[in-house]
This record gives sequence, structure tokens and C-alpha cells, in this order.
Amino acid sequence: MNNMNQTQNNEDELFEFTEYSAENAERIGYSDYSYWKSVLQNFFKKKAAVTLLVIFFLVLIFSFVALKIAKYDITMEPDSSKAFISPNSEFWFGTDNLGRDYWSRVWFSSQISIKLAALVAIGECIVGVTIGCVWGYVRKLDRWFTEVYNIINNIPTIIYMTLVALMIGQSFIIMAITLIAFGWLPMARNVRNLVMMYRDREYNLASRCLGTPLHRILIKNILPYLLSVIILRLSLSIPSTIALESTLSYLGLGLDINTPSLGILLRNARGYFLDYPYLLVFPALIVSLITVTFYLVGNAFSDAADPRNHV
Amino acid sequence: MLKYTIKRLLQSLVTVLIVVTIVFLLMRMLPIDYYFTEEQLMKFTEEQKQEQLLQAGLLDPLPKQLFNFYRQLITKFSLGDSRRIQSGVAVTKVIATRMGISMRLGVISLGISLVLGVLLGIAQTRFKDKFVDGIGTAYIIFVNSVPSLVSYSLVLVFGSRVLGLPPLYSTRNPVSITLPIVCLSMGSIAGYALWTRRYMVDEINKDYIKLARAKGLTTKQIMIRHVLRNAFVPLAQYLPASFLLTIGGSLLVERFFSVPGMGALMTDAIARYDTNVVQGCVALYASLGILGVFLGDVLMMLIDPRIKLTGNGGTR
Repeated sequence: MNNMNQTQNNEDELFEFTEYSAENAERIGYSDYSYWKSVLQNFFKKKAAVTLLVIFFLVLIFSFVALKIAKYDITMEPDSSKAFISPNSEFWFGTDNLGRDYWSRVWFSSQISIKLAALVAIGECIVGVTIGCVWGYVRKLDRWFTEVYNIINNIPTIIYMTLVALMIGQSFIIMAITLIAFGWLPMARNVRNLVMMYRDREYNLASRCLGTPLHRILIKNILPYLLSVIILRLSLSIPSTIALESTLSYLGLGLDINTPSLGILLRNARGYFLDYPYLLVFPALIVSLITVTFYLVGNAFSDAADPRNHV
Repeated sequence: MLKYTIKRLLQSLVTVLIVVTIVFLLMRMLPIDYYFTEEQLMKFTEEQKQEQLLQAGLLDPLPKQLFNFYRQLITKFSLGDSRRIQSGVAVTKVIATRMGISMRLGVISLGISLVLGVLLGIAQTRFKDKFVDGIGTAYIIFVNSVPSLVSYSLVLVFGSRVLGLPPLYSTRNPVSITLPIVCLSMGSIAGYALWTRRYMVDEINKDYIKLARAKGLTTKQIMIRHVLRNAFVPLAQYLPASFLLTIGGSLLVERFFSVPGMGALMTDAIARYDTNVVQGCVALYASLGILGVFLGDVLMMLIDPRIKLTGNGGTR
């Protein structure tokens, strides 16, 4: 009985006139959706990627501390009487085949590798996006760029690297420039495909009719669509640069011997690690941490950047 | 179809010719001294060096050298002789002996990784978001992100320390191919598993699968008859290319385990400035790559009758 009364009341309420309120009439539907906020929210839900990213930054900061507290400097002279000392309180990571302190070598070379990977990733990104935009937007250039792409892509990288190493030399800067010079291709191709998809959408047609200059169309209209892809490529390029650098160093085409990178440490370890496993373990752990982190971060980010996964 | 094939092969031929020509010119940019061994450099006088180079035709102007190279290739099917790798032996012969070794390793590992990779992919799809899927994903992430130099080292340590397998390849000991094959397969298993899973999961969400389920087919029948067959089409495209590329061998694996195959040949040839061998290798790699893509398209068309290459089908 009571229940029924209440229903009756409710229904009566529904049919009452509301008073006119100027304020309510102005109110519109509002949602505080923001693309980048949702991307970040989704990204932070990926626990593995975020944890690894935090660990990576801690390790990166620690590498500076580690070099400060190291008992032996990186420039220490080789001393063959101290070769192959297993890790102890004097040499925290032991010594290598020439009797150099492995602790400072490992941390120093990690910094070199990270620096190289970051530099190459940013360089590839700038060159790749610029060329990709022009390649995709200007129809007349498409054939030429495609031909250049096929030719550069079909000659094994190893030939370029050998020629550069022999004719120009081996150093950090040369290595970075060479890797960028041959690494922009996949990025440019990816960007080109996307630009071709967006260049003739109606809003761009309208922009062109209104006389918007080319660079403004590219930067303001098209580039925002490419941002998530660019960031994905940027973070995936770090593991691949480190892998390529270690392969090249293994073949003797990488950096010069005076700038040790993780690849060079791994190459030196190849001859001895069956007897002295610690020579492999330390650089391998750091390399794996860096590459797994950026691989996961890249993938987590590309999931998070997809608006279909947003609330 | 025939017209399309001929047109496409001709286009590829042009690309191969351009690539070979560029490599030819690049190799000519090297300093002259690299054509000799250290011993020869010490013994020879300047005149003797010039004499040698003149005989080998390396002092002719570039266009003439290039012309001679192509004339030799067309009239005698010869890429010239090796200078430093195996002095005086024809390049084709050098490549042929090494090709066999690389191909044997490559084909075995291709077979293993195809079977294991597709099985892993099926298992991951079957138990999606469960334990098996997680293990598979972790494996794929590990293989894809950790540099191969590190994972090969781990295989080598584990294989030779724990299992007692020989760490270096030798022709006399057939067991010694185990570790190189494991290393070669590791990466491609992950690749096949990743794509099998991706395509199968895509396929499972389609409407005709719901219909099949409503019709009363068992999960096993649906998986094998519908999902796997459709998911295999995009995978098939890469099969011919990966089969042909086994000829090329793997640079890192072959260096790591001292396998005397094709992968190491090219870097050796570059390191020792054996220009003829380098040109031969590059011509081979470029044609294999292009042929592989083409055969992949043809295979895909044979497996799936809905796909047409000539573009007159109109339905896609």
C-alpha cells in the first residue's frame, strides 16, 4: 500500500511544470574529455611498462652516481696482472681481459649507448617526418622518393657501414649520423602512407581553397594525426638502435674502441664469458632492461593512443 | 596474369641492376691498397702493384669497368674470380659451396619454427588471456626486444654449460648444428606465433564464426576448418621469401658459431675488399628479396581465390 502511494507520488512529480530559469536554459552538455589526458590515464594503467620506465630512469640516474663513487676511473691504464678478477669488494663488477675495472666501464658504456640511441631516435624522427610529409603530400615527388627508397633499402646496411667505417672513420658522431642517414626510411614510409590518407580529406580541401600555405596545412592539419605513430616509432627505435649498434660493434664496424658501448663490451665478452660469466651478465642485464622497457612503453603507448580504447 | 608477371619481373630486373651498379661504384671508392694482402703490400714495388691492377682491369676508367662487368655476366654467366677469399676461384663457385651450408641450417630452422610458431599461436588464441597466452607473450616480448647478441650468448652459455653441446660449428660433428639452429629458430618462432595469434584473434570475432558456432560445430572444428585456414593466408605471403632468404644465411648466427656459410661470406668479402664476391652476393640478395616478395603474392593468390593481383577483380 505504502509502495503504491510512493509510485503514485513519483508519477505526479513527472508531470509537474518546471519553472523557467534563464541559467538552466543556457547550460549545454559538457564533457571534460581531453585526448592527451585519456592517453596518459590509459598509459598509467599498464603496470609493467610504467614500472620498467621508472626502473630505467632510476638506473639512468644511478649510472651518474655509480661513476662518481667508482674506485677506479674509466681512463684507468690496462694492467694485465689484474685481468679476470671476479667481482669483489675492490672491483665491484670484477675486471675485464685487460685488467680494467668493469664497474666503471659498464656504467660509462651504458651512458654512451643510451645517448646514442636517444640521439638516433630523435634524428630519425626529425628527418623521417620531414621527408615523409613532403613525400606523401607532393604527388609529383612520390615516384622518385619510392625509387630512392627501394634502392637504399635493397643494399645491405652492412655495406654502407663498412664503407663509412673505412673511408670516414669510426666515432660517436659519425656512427650517430650514419645510423640516422639509413634509419629514417621506415619512419618516412610510415608517415608518407598516413599523409596520403589524410591529405585529401574534406577539411584539408577546404583549407586549401581558403589559401592556407602548404607548411601550415602540414603542421597544423596533418601532423596532429601522426603524433601517436611518431611517438610509437620513436620509442621502438631505441631498442632497435641498441641492437643494431651491438651487432655492428660485434662485427667491428661500430664505435671506436676508446668510446666503449654496451655492444663493444658484449663483443669483448664473447671470447671469455664461458669461463667468466660475469663479463656477460652485467652488460646483458642493462641492455635487456633498456630494450624491454622501451619496447613495452612503445606498445603500451600505441594502445593508449588509440581513441577506441578511451572511455 | 602472364602479362602482369612479365611486367613485374622486368621492373624487378631494373631495380636489381641499379642496386648492383651502385654497389659496384661504391666498392670502387675504396683505396687501392686494400686490393692486396699485407704480405703483398710489403713485398711489391709500386710498379708491381700497378702491373697487378692493370692485369685485373682495375685501372680502367669506371664506365669501361662497369661495361666489362656486365659483358662478362651476360656472355659467360660469370661474376669474375675471387681475389682474396679463395684466390682465383670463380665467384659463382665460392657462393655455391657456402650456400649449401647456410641453406641446410636455414631450412631445418624454418621447418621447426613454422611448426612450433603456428602451434604456439594457436595455443595462445585457444587460451586467450590465460596462463599459456601470458607465457607466449612474455617469450615474444623477450625475443623481439632483447638484442640477439645477448639472447644468442644466453643460448650458448646454457647449451654448452648445462647441456654440454659443442659451442662451435664443425662439419664433422652433426650435433654441433643444434645451437645455431636454436638461435635461428628463436626469433622466427616468436614472429610466427605473434602473427598467427593476431590474425586468428581477428578472425574469431567475425560474424561467420558466430554462425558456425550457432550451427553446432565444435570449437576444434571451427578452429581448424575456419579460423586457422583464413588466418594462414597472410602468413603464407612471407613463406617463399623466408625460404629463399635461408640461402643468404644469418650474419650474426654464422659469425657467432663460426659457420662457414653465406652470412659470414659477405662481411668477410667486404672486410677483405674482394669486390667481385661482394657484387655477386649483393646481386644474389637483391634478386632473392624481390623474387621472394613476388612468389609470396602468387602463393597468397593460389591459397585464397578471393585475392587477385591484376586489380580487375573490383571487390577488394
